[in-house]
Amino acid sequence: MPGPLQFAIWFLGTLLEVAVVVCAVKKNLFRRYFFLNLYMLLSAAVSAGRFRVLMTDGVDSTVYRYFYFYSDALLTIILFFALISLFGYVFQEMHVEKYVRMGAVLLLGGTAWFTYAVVNQSSARIVTHFVFELSQNLYFVGLVLTYVLWGAILKLRETRALLVQLVLSLGVYFSAYAASYAISNLRPNLFYYVSLLVPVIGCLLPLAWAYAFWRVPDDSRLVPARLTMVPR
Amino acid sequence: MSRKLTTLFLAMFVLVTAMGLKTVVTTHGDSSVLMANGSAPAPKPWFNGSAPAPKPWKNGSAPAPKPW
Repeated sequence: MPGPLQFAIWFLGTLLEVAVVVCAVKKNLFRRYFFLNLYMLLSAAVSAGRFRVLMTDGVDSTVYRYFYFYSDALLTIILFFALISLFGYVFQEMHVEKYVRMGAVLLLGGTAWFTYAVVNQSSARIVTHFVFELSQNLYFVGLVLTYVLWGAILKLRETRALLVQLVLSLGVYFSAYAASYAISNLRPNLFYYVSLLVPVIGCLLPLAWAYAFWRVPDDSRLVPARLTMVPR
Repeated sequence: MSRKLTTLFLAMFVLVTAMGLKTVVTTHGDSSVLMANGSAPAPKPWFNGSAPAPKPWKNGSAPAPKPW
């Protein structure tokens, strides 16, 4: 069973997730950034569900494992679509929504196929292993996609401050996750400390998004010189 | 190159890069699992039973000859 500090961080993270949706609704941005808000809303609901299951069955129970990993896969897929929706906003003026959607479906399908192919070769419990391997693979796909999106923002000289802040915070989140994953794999003796750090990283994304929705007006623009200059 | 082919190429490029990155990160690892959606404590992943893994097959105890 987790300690009081872990419960406090978890509770704080859930509060921040609710705060993102509240801020978006207050600023009339809920529908505009629908998938981002849907992710945060579902994340808060899943946290409540996990808490209930944890209290009744315990952290090492089969029920908690199933609930945790299946809900995590669902959340990761929605986060993937939230990221794709950000692609849609960045490439809005180029009218390539159809191709963005096509690329997203191809990428999700390709990741699922790759995961199945790997799990099918190495595991007897295909469904359960498939679920959390898919989550992990989608995290890495999300990481690469976020850097591609950041490259596009620089190249297209995107100046919408809110959009830039949302993408940057997502980049920091994925990078921090990938770094913690790398450290825990390369230095297994540090896994305990990294596993304590991961819930804190989980709080950073809702904190950054809540701040962005609350403080950054939708129509505010960045001065282009404040972004890195990239010759066209 | 048509836009459809470019989309296909980019999607495959992202997939290959992401899986390559994951492979690099986990090559020397012990298959640790970290989950990052929310702050809930992560349970240990499923294992394929708890029975000890058997040794690989050895047909008899005769010393193996050198290959041709």
